[in-house]
Amino acid sequence: MSKKVLKAVAFISPENRPILIRTFSNEDDHASAIKYHYIAHTSLDVIEERVAAGGKSTECYLGLLYAMEDVAVYGYITPLKVKIVIALALSDSVVRDVEINLLCKALHMAYYSALSNPFLKLDAPTDATNDHSPYLLVGRSNWKNFRRRLDEISRVVSNPSNAAGT
Amino acid sequence: MNSYPPELLAQLAPVMFVAGLDPPPPSTPTTAQSPTTPTASKAPQQDPFVILTMRLREALLAQRKVAIWQPDKSKSFQIIPVDKTVRFPPRKLVPQDDPGYSAAHSPLSPLTPSSPLHPDGLIAPIWIRKHTTLVPSVFVMFLRIYEYPPHMPRSPLDPPDPDRERDRELEERKRDAELAADIALRKKSTNERNIKLTVVLMATRRMLDDPSLDGRLTYIRRQSGLDSRAALFVLSPVSQQELGDFVKSLQQALYEPALEYYTAHSKRVRRKRNRHSQAISSYPTVPHTPLGTPGIGRPLRPEGWTVRYEYKMACFAEFRGEDDIALKHYQDAYEMLVIMFGSTAILPPRTKRWAEAKVLADCINIKVAKLYLYNNEHALALSHHNTHIRKFGDFSRGWGIGEETFEFWSWIARQHRILAELLEHGTQSKLVIPDHRPVNPVASQRPSVAVPSSVLELEAMRTMGMNPSHALQHPGYYYYMAAKCTEARRERFLAAAEAEASQTSPHNPSPGFTNEKKVDHLIIILELYTKAYELFKKYAPANAQNQNQGRLTLWIAYRIGQTYYESGKFDMAVRFFERIAKSYRREKWGLLLRPLLATWYACARQLGDVELSIRLLVEMLGYGVEESEDPASLEEDLLAVLRNSIPSTPDPEPMAIDLGESQPMLDSSVAFWTSEVKVGEPAAFQLCLAAPTTITLASLPFASLEIHFSGNLPPVVVKHAPEVLPAVVQRVDLGHISSSGAAGSPVANFRWQPGAAVVLTGTVSSGIPASFKILKVVLTLVEGPWTIQIPFDPSKSRGSSVPSARWLSSVDPPRFFPITREDFSSVIIRHRSHSILMSLSHKAPAYLDEDYPILIEVTNADDRELEVTADVLLQPTEIDGTENAIVLDDERSSSLIKGVNFGVLQPGVSVVKTLHLISTGAAGERMVDVSIQSTAVGGHQHENPELQDMTETLQTLVVPTSEAIKVNFGVVYKRALTARAGVADLRTYDHDFWDDSDGGEAIVTAQMECAGPWGLEVASVKLLRKDNEHAKVVEASIDTDNDIPSDYLTGDEFSDVCRVSMDIGEDLDLAEAAITGPGSYEVNWRRILGSGDRGPLSTSIFPLPPLRPPIDGVIALLDVSPTAKLHVPVPLTITIRNRHPSRSANVTIQLEPDPSDGFVVAGLRSGRVPILLPGGEEKVTWRLIPVDCGYVKVPRIKIVDKRRALVSAQAREPNAEVETEGDVVKIIDVRLDRARERKITGRVSVESTR
Repeated sequence: MSKKVLKAVAFISPENRPILIRTFSNEDDHASAIKYHYIAHTSLDVIEERVAAGGKSTECYLGLLYAMEDVAVYGYITPLKVKIVIALALSDSVVRDVEINLLCKALHMAYYSALSNPFLKLDAPTDATNDHSPYLLVGRSNWKNFRRRLDEISRVVSNPSNAAGT
Repeated sequence: MNSYPPELLAQLAPVMFVAGLDPPPPSTPTTAQSPTTPTASKAPQQDPFVILTMRLREALLAQRKVAIWQPDKSKSFQIIPVDKTVRFPPRKLVPQDDPGYSAAHSPLSPLTPSSPLHPDGLIAPIWIRKHTTLVPSVFVMFLRIYEYPPHMPRSPLDPPDPDRERDRELEERKRDAELAADIALRKKSTNERNIKLTVVLMATRRMLDDPSLDGRLTYIRRQSGLDSRAALFVLSPVSQQELGDFVKSLQQALYEPALEYYTAHSKRVRRKRNRHSQAISSYPTVPHTPLGTPGIGRPLRPEGWTVRYEYKMACFAEFRGEDDIALKHYQDAYEMLVIMFGSTAILPPRTKRWAEAKVLADCINIKVAKLYLYNNEHALALSHHNTHIRKFGDFSRGWGIGEETFEFWSWIARQHRILAELLEHGTQSKLVIPDHRPVNPVASQRPSVAVPSSVLELEAMRTMGMNPSHALQHPGYYYYMAAKCTEARRERFLAAAEAEASQTSPHNPSPGFTNEKKVDHLIIILELYTKAYELFKKYAPANAQNQNQGRLTLWIAYRIGQTYYESGKFDMAVRFFERIAKSYRREKWGLLLRPLLATWYACARQLGDVELSIRLLVEMLGYGVEESEDPASLEEDLLAVLRNSIPSTPDPEPMAIDLGESQPMLDSSVAFWTSEVKVGEPAAFQLCLAAPTTITLASLPFASLEIHFSGNLPPVVVKHAPEVLPAVVQRVDLGHISSSGAAGSPVANFRWQPGAAVVLTGTVSSGIPASFKILKVVLTLVEGPWTIQIPFDPSKSRGSSVPSARWLSSVDPPRFFPITREDFSSVIIRHRSHSILMSLSHKAPAYLDEDYPILIEVTNADDRELEVTADVLLQPTEIDGTENAIVLDDERSSSLIKGVNFGVLQPGVSVVKTLHLISTGAAGERMVDVSIQSTAVGGHQHENPELQDMTETLQTLVVPTSEAIKVNFGVVYKRALTARAGVADLRTYDHDFWDDSDGGEAIVTAQMECAGPWGLEVASVKLLRKDNEHAKVVEASIDTDNDIPSDYLTGDEFSDVCRVSMDIGEDLDLAEAAITGPGSYEVNWRRILGSGDRGPLSTSIFPLPPLRPPIDGVIALLDVSPTAKLHVPVPLTITIRNRHPSRSANVTIQLEPDPSDGFVVAGLRSGRVPILLPGGEEKVTWRLIPVDCGYVKVPRIKIVDKRRALVSAQAREPNAEVETEGDVVKIIDVRLDRARERKITGRVSVESTR
């Protein structure tokens, strides 16, 4: 896997609410957080377009959504319509779709395993007819595991050689 | 694009000069100048040649517009109208006959001192302009050929006037010579430059037919020295359509020479370049410039010359339309430029040549990108463009105009912008922006897509992936980038300006900075963003779901709003923000809204709009502040605004700030203790209002809180009371809230500390069924003259999380526990259900045909008076042939009896009603649903049935039903003994003649059994005769001796036998049909209910079974008396009947006496009976004298029907004496004749009604 710099990852619920927007850039100031919020938000446009154009295609990976300023934005939609948006630093090198797809799948799995935390449903009504899945809760700051996993993935992506050793 | 010389960007095409198509001077008529066309002078406006010239001019000029994006390769020229005597720029400054001519350079060469490129130019747009506007590749002259005025002979008989002919010839010759001289002059100047000269002679149609024309044309060509090919055309006034064709064919014909022209140029330049590169070794010395002052400046280095040559060759290739070659040369020129820039020695920065080279590099970059895009090689185009930006960005740092300078960003913005503009031009033509959707492997595997090579390509694409920066996007993105870069440029400029202002010592500002001061950055940014916005809007997916603006466009609109704010156009900015905020609120991305609101508020403050400021501050309180900011800032701002301003009207209405889709400032939750209570019962609720921790609200002067419930409850007002001590969790008991309002006047402290909560608890109740929830909570804030009402829906959660319900269980320490219900924020109030008891009693199983009573007992066990009605539904059964009914009171139905009133029941009273179930047909289960509805007497009658105080009690009853009496019929048949009536027997014609000779008799035994578990009292049994035309009951045992009526227990049986005579008429086909039973048994019975009780009288009907008498062929009936006395002769008769409907019988009889026989026989021993016709019969009689006592057998008699044997023998061999046996005829003893039912079951014949 060639080296890439993962700038940010966004998880967006099926209702298009942000679940978690995690930035990995070093200048982790407020401006960049807002910037990736905007990127995640605007990429929903392209995701919706792709999904609509894809029809009943079951492909999760949506490919390059757009490249703007210094990031290339890729999209992925899980079968349950959770959207994952990845912002990669724009570098002058070929990005293989296979690798991004792999990265998306890893993120999807991270989300999935974070979601399986039974404690997330502690406060959920037991007789809920429509499943208020703890989509949004999982991104809350008090659930650290998810963030840790994402950071781990980001680290692996940035240093593929290290990861191969471990 | 405007920032670059258009010559360097435009698509080049071969240049054609056209002369002689000047528009006529509009004011003066053309009479004077056209003596050659006297006819035209009469009506100058209609002169066909003027029109022709005009049209030609138009058509030619319309051929091609100067444009940047023009990928089509139709053979069209860039056509420039010129004067006939136009002069070309000199090739060299010295005249050709000067001795220094060969050493001289072109006036545009950097080596020429007077050149604009001297001393430190490289190559200027003027060079291209020379080739696009001053020097053509083809020169076309439009000229009129002289036409002698047509001769008008007075009379057709006049002989041709020889004088006139001669005059004409002379005149023509003279004029043609003049014309040829003109052309020759022109030809000389074009020849100098190898330009093709073509002459188009315009002549009238009459002239075209003139036989002398050919000669004249040849003369003119020879005289003027025109080429033999494609150099002389003749055109007469023609229609627009034909004119178009002419223009096209003219270009076609001249395209080749044009290409040759540019090829020659290319060759010349290549020669020069080659010569130059060979001479490179000797070049380091200053090149001698024979004329002018040598070595003034920086002579062009070999690299520079290479750039010039490559660039020229690229341009000439582009003129020829050879894009590949042009691309190659442009790239070479670009590479060389990069080398030049790489060394400050070759190209010292900030010189004129450097600036020129920079512009040239940018333009070449765009040309290269464009040529790639022509070929749809998006990645290569973008790659070149990106590399260009990167390389020159790097160079810029070296030149001291790196990222920290506005020059750098200005240049980057220009690059993005020019690419965007190029793409915009392209998309208006044929360029298609690709879709970067990943290749779907499923789709690509489809064989239909598929030549194998393309599949391979796709596969390669998939594994290779792509460089995201090489993904071509719509131009909006590049405009956006340009805008962003311009923002950066402005930032750098402002920083520089600040630095300048703070500098005390007068600093000499660079000329660039002085220029930059004149630039209005914000206008540029706005323009770029607006362009981006339009393009994003244009490319937004147009689906129905996305009718509001796309998020990308909103984002850019937000940037536009920001820019308006920056440029001080606050009202414009506010308009943008208003629109964007609406969408962002709906999307509930709070973090996006926060900076927007902040800027919006800043605008409102600038505009002095107090109300808007208040609104925005209240909304912003809902979204909180950044961690870095002071959490009290918003609160302070709001208070400051309220204190320092007064409302616009002196006595204002309370100002309501309905935040609708926005986040309220307080965390709120509503919880009801249970989801459902009964009417009149209190439902406990808690309304929890908690302040967020990230922001302080403590000083906001909330005066009161109103709680609005749904339904008819009045709002409850809780007043602020400062004397109540604030606590982390403040519990306020509202008491019971009924339709008259709250009990007391509750107070609470509404100064929320961060994280503090006020929990308002109370109960609600209702006398009627209802659903309660808290619709809204209105906070009222009073400060000075301002009264602000902030309503919000407490059930909606703040933020994006799923609301969770908590119930305060302890105030100190505060403790909550979760309510794990989904509908915790509302309560439903229902009526208490009535206590009604219903019991159904009956004695199963029910019998068929019985009136089966089911007792319905309804008891009011409630303490209220209830009115009871019942619905009874008999479910349809799946058993065939049943017919059931229910009877309740006077109503009878086969399915539903509705609304049977049981009356008003006092508490403790019961009512019994009997439901009768009558089921017939087949045994099985019957299902009855009994539903009892009770309504409270005196209750409200609501429109809505949901709200009615009604309780329904439903019970389903399954009644097993069995047969009371089970009947088994046994039928045997006896053949008729009487002979058939003769054919001519008159009796047979009687209407009521009963002919049973065919049918005989049936003996029907009916065996009836009490099958059910209950005993029966049979009241009567009757055989109801229903004789039909084929059968009638002759007698029945029951008629004579009817002692059946009695009590019967389970398993008891009784029976009856009856005789039925049958008349098989000719119309009845026994093989097919059966005879309907001629009657039925009717049994009247009662159920024995024990101890002398009897049920109601029921009647069961059992029809006689269908009759199927035997069908015989030839049959013999033996009749002999059962007993005989010794030696007293008895007769033995055999009746042979042929009952076959169509075939005669050939019967032989053989009586075979045996010594052991106990008889002596007198009669026929062996013989043949006369042939029996169908239906015929023959009797043979013997006398038997018994010689033995005891049980003796009659002699053996054998009767054979030989007909079939004979027929078959004859068929086989007519003359052969074959002993055939024939069919043995069955002999039946009439005394024992009990033929059984036939096995074949025919359908019961339809009984005729008569």
